[in-house]
Amino acid sequence: MPDVRYPVVVAGGVPVVAAPQEIDITNAAGLREVLLDLIPGHAAVVIDMTQTQFCDTAGLHVLVMAHKRALAQGCQVRLAMPGGPVLRILAITGIDRVIPRFTSLEDAMAAPAAPGARRPPTG
Amino acid sequence: MTVRIDPASVEDRLRDIQSITDAAMSRLDDRDFLAELLERVKDILQADTAAVLLLDARSGQLIATAAAGLEEEVIQGVRIPVGRGFAGRIAAEQKPVILDHVDHTTVLNPILWVKGIRSMIGVPLLAAGRTVGVLHVGSLTPREFTSDDAELLQLAADRAAVAVQSMISHADRVAVSALQRSLVPSALPSIPGAELAARYIPGSGVVGGDWYDVFTLPSGELCFVMGDVAGSGLPAAVIMGRMRSALRAYALETRDPAEVLGKLDRKMQHFEPDAIATVLYAVADPTLDQVHISLAGHFPPVVARPGQPAELADVAPGLMIGVAPGARRAVTTLNVAPGTLLCFFTDGLIERPGEIVDEGLARLCHAVAPAPPETACATVMGALLGREAARDDIALLMLRRQPAGDDDA
Repeated sequence: MPDVRYPVVVAGGVPVVAAPQEIDITNAAGLREVLLDLIPGHAAVVIDMTQTQFCDTAGLHVLVMAHKRALAQGCQVRLAMPGGPVLRILAITGIDRVIPRFTSLEDAMAAPAAPGARRPPTG
Repeated sequence: MTVRIDPASVEDRLRDIQSITDAAMSRLDDRDFLAELLERVKDILQADTAAVLLLDARSGQLIATAAAGLEEEVIQGVRIPVGRGFAGRIAAEQKPVILDHVDHTTVLNPILWVKGIRSMIGVPLLAAGRTVGVLHVGSLTPREFTSDDAELLQLAADRAAVAVQSMISHADRVAVSALQRSLVPSALPSIPGAELAARYIPGSGVVGGDWYDVFTLPSGELCFVMGDVAGSGLPAAVIMGRMRSALRAYALETRDPAEVLGKLDRKMQHFEPDAIATVLYAVADPTLDQVHISLAGHFPPVVARPGQPAELADVAPGLMIGVAPGARRAVTTLNVAPGTLLCFFTDGLIERPGEIVDEGLARLCHAVAPAPPETACATVMGALLGREAARDDIALLMLRRQPAGDDDA
């Protein structure tokens, strides 16, 4: 279900999903659906977490599921997050060393495709 | 084009609708409600059979759950894959289907044609846009079911869907609380020199997957587990149960806590690839001089030493369970002098929306003191929760090494 809280912007062939301020059990499923829809057919999907201040285990679950699904389908999930409270949670859970993270949205979008990733759609 | 309205038919229709939305029916319990609803539907449509099949999401099959005039469907446990046969097509397309001939080409379930059903009509049971089941009726004499029949049947199906949702969520709640009771240790082990206390508070919303465990090994070592499975309700509780048993089994095999978590991770990634969880596993020497801790994405314990402010123990972080294969986790050893208290906890205790986690950790450290564990637990719960019900599950477990001089206590 397309949701106004997760606007998707595609720039240079890379879709960017804006995550909400708080990701928890009440909105995690919506975010998951948006991400799982975008993963097939893209070389990378950026989750813009620059505004996200809270992410509980339901939120982490979405990030990990999206990451695993992307790996299996030749796509790469990238997090755009300069720092802040959610980064602390990613460090405690070790997820910061598994899902590629960039300190700015621009860097996340400009990063080269992961080895083995599908070619971005041309035209 | 003018539409001719037959007053008698309108009146009949209203009476029919009244019959399936009758207030008296709401007082029945959900299972009786379904049985009564099927009887009424069968009468109103002058049909011979009526049945409800419910979707089992895990297998993608519809399972016969209630029937009138077609009880054998339920007794024999009929299962129809979504997308196949008559009921499977209704579930997949989410719209009514009318059959004017019933045989092996149109219907998957042989009971229907063996019984001599000649015509059928079925509608989906929908909840929030998702298929939860199918309601169908059949006639032993050939007839043409109409779109009016479909409309009436859909009205009944909408009522049935509500009853079914309530039946499932009630059954889930009962199962979850039974599971939780069985998973939380009924009594903490009694170990000379170790004082223990624990609290477990299910969240006020949907119940999550927090658990704790305390057990001894044949060597006399005392083991502690704190875990938090992502997700909620019955699925999370079931996974938590499996993780608890698996961890206990690996604990008997190897003394190294990081290896235990590694084996648990491998087991989970193979058998429960969609699950993720944070786990702390700690093994205390029989003398309690040292505690060896390994983390899988979980918070380290808070340590309170006599005469010093409590602090978050400096334990090497390790990757959460279920994220990536082959992760290596470290073991950190803490020296535990007499009188020292270790406080293990899950995130529900400290996390509040709109607040960074360090604030919650600071609040916890401030509240923890090397008091007798029962007192320390009560103090922490009072300081961190007060009168505010927790949104998430909370598990809290404290170990204090008996202070020197308390030996005869």
